[in-house]
Amino acid sequence: MQTKILLDEEEMPKRWYNVLADLPTPMDPPLHPQTKKPVGPEDLAVIFPMELIRQEMSPDRFIDIPEEVRDVLRLWRPSPLYRAHRLEKALKTPAKIYYKWEGVSPAGSHKPNTAVPQAYYNMKEGVERIATETGAGQWGSALAFATMLYDIECTVYMVRASYTQKPYRKSMMQVWGAECIPSPSTKTNAGRAMLEKDPDTPGSLGVAISEAVEDAATHGNTHYSLGSVLNHVCLHQTIIGLESREQLARVESYPDVVIGCVGGGSNFAGISFPFAGDKMTGKHPDVDIIAVEPASCPTLTKGLYAYDFGDEAGLTPIMKMYTLGHDFIPPSIHAGGLRYHGDSPIVSKLVHDGVMRAVSYHQTEVFDAAQTFARSEGIIVAPETSHAVKAAIDEALKCRKTGEAKTILFNASGHGNFDMSAYDAYYGGKLVDYEYPDALIRDALKRLPTVP
Amino acid sequence: MMYTIGFLVNPVAGMGGAVGLKGTDGLVLEAIRRGARPRAGARAVLSLRLIRETPFHFLTCSGPMGEDALRDAGIPDTSVDVVYPAPGTTSSDDTRNACREFAARGADLILFCGGDGTARDIYDVVLDRIPVLGIPAGVKMYSAVFAVTPEAAAEILLVGPPSLLKLRDAEIVDVDEEAYREGELRTLLHGYAKSPYRPGLIQETKQVFENQDEERAKQGIGKFLADVIRGTPETLYILGPGTTTGAIAHELGIDKTLLGFDAVKGGRLIAGDLNEQRILEMLSCGGRARLVISIIGAQGSVLGRGTQQVSPSVLRKIDVENVIVVATPHKLAETPLLFVDTGDRELDREFGEYLSVVSGYGIAQRKRIGRGTVQEK
Repeated sequence: MQTKILLDEEEMPKRWYNVLADLPTPMDPPLHPQTKKPVGPEDLAVIFPMELIRQEMSPDRFIDIPEEVRDVLRLWRPSPLYRAHRLEKALKTPAKIYYKWEGVSPAGSHKPNTAVPQAYYNMKEGVERIATETGAGQWGSALAFATMLYDIECTVYMVRASYTQKPYRKSMMQVWGAECIPSPSTKTNAGRAMLEKDPDTPGSLGVAISEAVEDAATHGNTHYSLGSVLNHVCLHQTIIGLESREQLARVESYPDVVIGCVGGGSNFAGISFPFAGDKMTGKHPDVDIIAVEPASCPTLTKGLYAYDFGDEAGLTPIMKMYTLGHDFIPPSIHAGGLRYHGDSPIVSKLVHDGVMRAVSYHQTEVFDAAQTFARSEGIIVAPETSHAVKAAIDEALKCRKTGEAKTILFNASGHGNFDMSAYDAYYGGKLVDYEYPDALIRDALKRLPTVP
Repeated sequence: MMYTIGFLVNPVAGMGGAVGLKGTDGLVLEAIRRGARPRAGARAVLSLRLIRETPFHFLTCSGPMGEDALRDAGIPDTSVDVVYPAPGTTSSDDTRNACREFAARGADLILFCGGDGTARDIYDVVLDRIPVLGIPAGVKMYSAVFAVTPEAAAEILLVGPPSLLKLRDAEIVDVDEEAYREGELRTLLHGYAKSPYRPGLIQETKQVFENQDEERAKQGIGKFLADVIRGTPETLYILGPGTTTGAIAHELGIDKTLLGFDAVKGGRLIAGDLNEQRILEMLSCGGRARLVISIIGAQGSVLGRGTQQVSPSVLRKIDVENVIVVATPHKLAETPLLFVDTGDRELDREFGEYLSVVSGYGIAQRKRIGRGTVQEK
């Protein structure tokens, strides 16, 4: 009874998969925040290296992973694919559950998959410093690790709610030589404006992005780096799904259901885009792809599909995506990485077009699922990942009812070793089941940018 | 600065409960005949002995109305001023008179040991001018000034000087004891006192920023619902009693009655302090109507406590779908279950298993609805 399906280092994918090539209809272009005209490469060159801008807009189906990047990825890749025999047994389900374990990276999540190439391309252009934001700290610590490899300075604006919840994420960034600042901070106009509006704000990814973008735009030889949402980030993460598909092929399998949690959408894109490509090109038209989000921040299930800013201050390009409004400050749930008002434009489009679907869960039931997983498979996952676990368990329980032996694949995006305060709150009965009162919010005035 | 506490015990509070009287108002002799013994003094001691090391200055009443409990708890005589001589048999007049004395002598806070009746008597004198904290000892404690246990009351006081205590609005409710003995809970909202609380007793971790300040949470709810009301100018809104719904009115810049039901449309007040008949008349004009209510009392009652104006026929007209429940995170943290008691069981069931309660700007919390009889504390 095989539990781990492993690939050799040399079997690590040599190319990323660009799902843009297989979309039946083109994406709506990102628009410039001031002119409202489509954004061109030159607009982005202030904050991104040219190679990433090329990848952002590339029509090519496959993009080569530089050998130097693969050398770094070898530290933990290919990551293992597990067959969750013990979980299946605990659930008494005929379903076959597989999970891709991304918690083996140095930073403990999928985030280094894109942090490393992003830092690499910046180094190639001679960039000396990178500013970024982080929610729960997964991305900030991943970029701290990656910039250290290439001797680039790194400043991380960390959402304040998470900064106090997860102090050790900050310590990790320090170990790898990065500076971590709670956001909103007094270092940027965006941060100061937010603090003036509400000195006690828990902060949000939207605000932290504004701060990092402003920092990059106003400092010499400083670029900005984003850990999710953008096309090139999703592209880098496809290595997860490419490996998984290969690993499943080794046991002569292909998933009926593919699941990932969604904040900005990058780990979900990573596990699902190769399968979405198979679905759109007719190779596997029936694969069911599920994005899982928190009920408190249900962008895909209850948001509007519209053009909106990627950040609170309105500095980023306007993107067509599912959004709860760029000024929405989600409640301080423990899955800090899922507290984002928008979503990857590609993921949004695929959900909108019915290639994928989305579900949402409350905080308590998600921790119930994480506990079930920890008590069967042993691994204590991050609160974000728990959302994917919950959906996988629900799908497996459906199979118990119907007797179907579906193959379920989910991305176990990161470990929860820095999230013990969240588990403490769960065991202390302190978790609040936040919701998003969508009907009322629709009635309140929405502040989306007007797009001609 | 020395912290002055006005302290009183209602010596007969809680006596009726043990002998099945569901309240002691007007029934002290019957309770004694049935073998009831005073218990409030002993409850007070549980709390007081935890604060005997703290240099509070106590103003109190003689004998069983305060002085005895302070002595039994080991509070030094030098910290105690007996400012009200209690008669052999005490009544609600004595509670009220003692409070007048405390107020005149500049008490920073009134600590009392009793039940809902005692809370109501104190409130009638001090209103929201002096913070009130209750050590639970009565038969019924539906008012929100009570700490969870006598020990918890002490912990709240140990937070620090009055300037550091966080205050919140606490409902004082009247329970109709006659009806209560018949097994029917009929309550009326009597007013809002100020009561201290210790944030840590409500939620332990500092991560939930929304919970830091109840006033801030209230403003968030007020802003959100005000935006909703302005965004739906065709909808009639009936705003229920309370300071949370009051925050909505404040945002809209309208004057709302504190204890009544008021009608708002297009952001403007169109009628105040409605009774059931008036609400039904307004609803019969057609168009969509929404009811905005807050959770009343410490036990998580959504309808049925102090909301008699919203009868089952009113609710059926409005439709359960259009009931918006609001409450601060603080209130929700204290109330694991919500209770819906419209007086019509079938209607109660229409509310389902969960209620979504608006707790901030664009934020709601899912809370389970409890079934069956309302449990006492």
